[in-house]
Amino acid sequence: MKKTRWLILLTLVVALAAIASGCGGDDDGEEPAAQDTGATDTGAEAVECSGTVGIMGPFTGDAASIGQEQLNWARFAVDTFNEENGTDFVLEEGDTQLDPAQASTVAPQFVSNSDIFGIVGPAGSQEIEAVGEIFGREGIAFVSPSATATDLTERFDTFFRVVPTDADQGPTDAAYMADELGAQKVLIIDDQTSYSTGLADSTSEALEEAGVTVERESVSQDQTDFSALVSGVANDTDVVFLPWQIAANAQLFGNQMSEQGKDAVIFGSDGLFSPDDFSIAGSYVSSFAPDITGLDDPAVQELATAYEEEFGDFGTFGPPTFAATTVVMDAAYRACQDGEEPSREVVLENVGTTDFPESILGQPIAFDENGDIQDATFFIFQIAEDGSYELVQ
Amino acid sequence: MPRIGTDEWAAQAETRTEHYRGLTAPARRAWDRVTPQARFALFLAVAAAFPFTTDSTFLQRVGVNVLLFALLALGLNIVVGWAGLLDLGYVAFYGFGAYAYAWVSSSQFDLHWPTIATIPTVVVASALLGLLLGLPSWRLVGDYLAITTLFFAQIFVELALNLDRINLPGSDEPLNLTGGPNGIPGVDPMVIFGIELLRVRDYFFLLLVVLAIVVIGLFFLKDSRTGRAWRAVREDPLAAELMTTPVNRMKLLAFAMGAAIAGLTGTIFAAVQVGVFPQNFEVTLLIMIYAALILGGAGSIQGAILGAIVVASVPEILRTPENARFLFYGALIAVLVATVRPWRRLAALAGAAVAFGFAVHEIVALVWPEGVEAETRGEGIGGLLDSWVVLPAVERVLIGNIAFVLLIVAVLSLTQLRRDTRFVLLVPTIYLAAFVWENRLIFQPSVTRQLLFGAILVAMMTTRPHGLLGTPRVENPV
Amino acid sequence: MEFFVQQLVNGVTLGSVYALIALGYSMVYGILKLLNFAHGEVYMMGAFIGYFVLIGLGGAASPILPVAFVIILMFLAGMLGAGILGIAIERFAYRPLRNAPRIAPLISAIGVSFFLQASALLIFTAQFRTYNTPAMIPFSVGIEVGPLRISLVRILVITSAITLMIALWLLVNRTRLGKAMRATSYDREAAAMMGIDVDRVIVATFFIGSVLAGAAGVMVGLVFGRVFHFMGFIAGLKGFTAAVIGGIGNIPGAMLGGLLIGLAEAFSAAYISSTFQNLIVFGILITVMLVRPSGLLGSPVLKKV
Repeated sequence: MKKTRWLILLTLVVALAAIASGCGGDDDGEEPAAQDTGATDTGAEAVECSGTVGIMGPFTGDAASIGQEQLNWARFAVDTFNEENGTDFVLEEGDTQLDPAQASTVAPQFVSNSDIFGIVGPAGSQEIEAVGEIFGREGIAFVSPSATATDLTERFDTFFRVVPTDADQGPTDAAYMADELGAQKVLIIDDQTSYSTGLADSTSEALEEAGVTVERESVSQDQTDFSALVSGVANDTDVVFLPWQIAANAQLFGNQMSEQGKDAVIFGSDGLFSPDDFSIAGSYVSSFAPDITGLDDPAVQELATAYEEEFGDFGTFGPPTFAATTVVMDAAYRACQDGEEPSREVVLENVGTTDFPESILGQPIAFDENGDIQDATFFIFQIAEDGSYELVQ
Repeated sequence: MPRIGTDEWAAQAETRTEHYRGLTAPARRAWDRVTPQARFALFLAVAAAFPFTTDSTFLQRVGVNVLLFALLALGLNIVVGWAGLLDLGYVAFYGFGAYAYAWVSSSQFDLHWPTIATIPTVVVASALLGLLLGLPSWRLVGDYLAITTLFFAQIFVELALNLDRINLPGSDEPLNLTGGPNGIPGVDPMVIFGIELLRVRDYFFLLLVVLAIVVIGLFFLKDSRTGRAWRAVREDPLAAELMTTPVNRMKLLAFAMGAAIAGLTGTIFAAVQVGVFPQNFEVTLLIMIYAALILGGAGSIQGAILGAIVVASVPEILRTPENARFLFYGALIAVLVATVRPWRRLAALAGAAVAFGFAVHEIVALVWPEGVEAETRGEGIGGLLDSWVVLPAVERVLIGNIAFVLLIVAVLSLTQLRRDTRFVLLVPTIYLAAFVWENRLIFQPSVTRQLLFGAILVAMMTTRPHGLLGTPRVENPV
Repeated sequence: MEFFVQQLVNGVTLGSVYALIALGYSMVYGILKLLNFAHGEVYMMGAFIGYFVLIGLGGAASPILPVAFVIILMFLAGMLGAGILGIAIERFAYRPLRNAPRIAPLISAIGVSFFLQASALLIFTAQFRTYNTPAMIPFSVGIEVGPLRISLVRILVITSAITLMIALWLLVNRTRLGKAMRATSYDREAAAMMGIDVDRVIVATFFIGSVLAGAAGVMVGLVFGRVFHFMGFIAGLKGFTAAVIGGIGNIPGAMLGGLLIGLAEAFSAAYISSTFQNLIVFGILITVMLVRPSGLLGSPVLKKV
């Protein structure tokens, strides 16, 4: 008897799965109906425009803290954009867990979905390596909010990013350490990720050119305890450079430095720009933006507050995702304004000609011929006694 | 269900007797008469036709993933299923194969070997590595062997991550062997008999051919002298030794064979992904391969393939929220159909659930109007659900979370209750499930995907402890 | 010398956490011969419960109760919550597989582990949570001998770990329940025939093992600060490793294995290289396994013919 039941169950599940995959394909038929109502509500100027933005990132797994922040900001960007422009854009997420193999499975899924006109992400540089050709062949624009390996934009034609590269950040940080902080000896600890090693390399190169003694260490991102590593920080070390992505790790590292009475200064990369999580007084953090938490700019402040009300705290990964998502949607919206369908081809072209005089990153966004952000500069902050970030350069 | 605990022959007594009953009996009887060879031929035919039924590179890519998993599970089956050695270092051989292919087919060392020479070399090298890493099996048994081989798997990832700056004596430039966290991108496509494999579809067919060869090989190996020796080693190494089975040599052979298949799969994976990265070969992958093998039924070739299909395709089906929703409600209905008897009761239950839903919806609409005012999702099934499920417009996340925890508690307590009480509680539980789905899970597709996959694994294992196609067997007390 | 002692303290702190996790693995294994791979998630849940108790009591910076009281409550809640979770996991994921092949519960354990991780992600979100212990007990408070510093938090963690281990030892060796546990682990069927309620013993074992994991979770939160949904995965692997190294099923062995791994990690990172820390640790552990094939304190496997 029992066996029969399970057979019925299995057949049902299979049948439903078949129906489900069928329905998944029918979607494009239903979309316009919903969109009509959306567009008529908002004033006369609104241009009818709809479609889907795909977002790839590590939404589960060990890097989910990064991916979920990106996802939430992307949702927030879509809602904000739709509200402002009366468009009807939808977000579709593809979880990669930072694994290139999964990224290269999600990529064809997005390619097969004809509603998707552009992609935000993926997050990691290795994932870009794995999906670059797939998107390139189809001519789909993909705008990463966080992949910084320097040569990516040269190799993939349809790839753009709203954050500057390792080659921009490393020398800026190195110059500040050598000139302003007068560092003689710097310890660089990478966290064995692609982002971290790339940045560590470019920084140590620039430091050595400036005549600073550089020591290298590396530690896994999953490490529970840094105290043994902290004990190993030599007493004549002036600066410890942490090109890390997880601010909570740097916070522990800083706490353990003070626990063991080490007085070297911590210098964090843009991955650590996270006033909620990293607040070791006296440390320095660099950032690709002068102001992502809206300290000065009221417009940015408003966005940040609205986001925090809905989703909670955020760090350094969210605002660039907001910018990247807006870039993709804006490209499609401009196509609609020109009376064209937001096809992948047009969107790709329009992303290339993006020209925002101002953005959530507190600076203009426009791309150079490779797809890198134009005139990238880095800013350096110092953390005050009360944990607030103060712009020092 | 056959019983375990006395003797293999007695345990399988019930399986040997014919017990076809019920509506589907003729179909099952007919299916059982199809020979394994014919079944496999049927599978190959269906699989070979698959890429022609769809233009979607996504579905083809999922097909490639399924075949990769099937090959990995088959290789693992030799070591775990047949020889009974708990090898947790298996994923290292897969990674080694992939990296080895990348070393000789990319600009990393500017080597571009012909594929036809690379594959045999890598397979032999993987097998040798398997021999080497299998050596601890001479001294260690059971979980002690498992943990030692797990170290090898972790060491592999550590090496891949850190062997990008090796300072060799006599050379100024540090040697970059693995590319560190960046891996080795831009691996050459495979060229087989002059055909350059560029599309996903090409690799699907290559994998299918490889799978056919491997399965045919394993089919003959299974009951050969070697295959029987492996099973003897699995059941009782001491007795096998006394019967002059060269136990240690058989263990090494199992490791080497498994490693060879994993290495072979690795080469194809590297070419499919156009690159190799350390993140590809982490312990999570190992867990998935084990899940495929054990879910399908360790020891069974068909089981390994079926398990691979489940483990590689279910997470992909769950990717799209619409599919996940159908699967969710589908599974809910299917479980009810399969467990609630008689049919009258089921009909009553369905009626009660629908009535309960509308009642709750009306009450909430009266008492707390905001509670049903969340934006709706248009017509169709979504629209129908909107007037049934309560959709609060405020504090949706918090309410959803609380309901989620309540749902877990309700489902768990359902299994503990007596029949009649259970029936009463079932109605609100069904409604709660729908509520949680529509208010919380639907907005977090990626998280839900993992949630459901976990639940599916537990449900499948607890209902089929021997795997979907596994045969019960008596185990030695440890 | 101070450097050496400093590393010893670092290693023992980490090691006692690993040991507590390993104990849960080892106890369950001793009785059911089952690797409870969901154990790491129990530890994660314990850490989260501790965090929310702390937040509920006003947070680290402004607790509404005396600090000592807050910490005790965090431990109690974390341990109790973890214990209940452990019982639930046993009841629903393992009991149906009691007579299944040994490898089957492994997969349902993995399923439970996925499920709990995703639930944590759903309910607690992916953000890193920090206990922010320094606001409660500054790291500079503690024993200071010359250049050597041992912070109060570390002393607290190490002493409570030792207390728990002693309590466990007393429970196993001096109580009726302990005797029943030992009997069940020696021979389940015979124990059942002697009138021991094996199911209850198993439930008790899961409860105690999970309570220890919950305590470990709160300790990690206190001393290392970060609590997040994925923390159980790595910790689970470490605990499993420690349990096997010590001789799986052997309670003092699990403690020893945990300490060994903690010390190996601290010393290799401090004296050799933090880059190759994991490699060195694995190297040491493989050597240990080859020299002592049944773990440090495990008895050689008896062959029944």
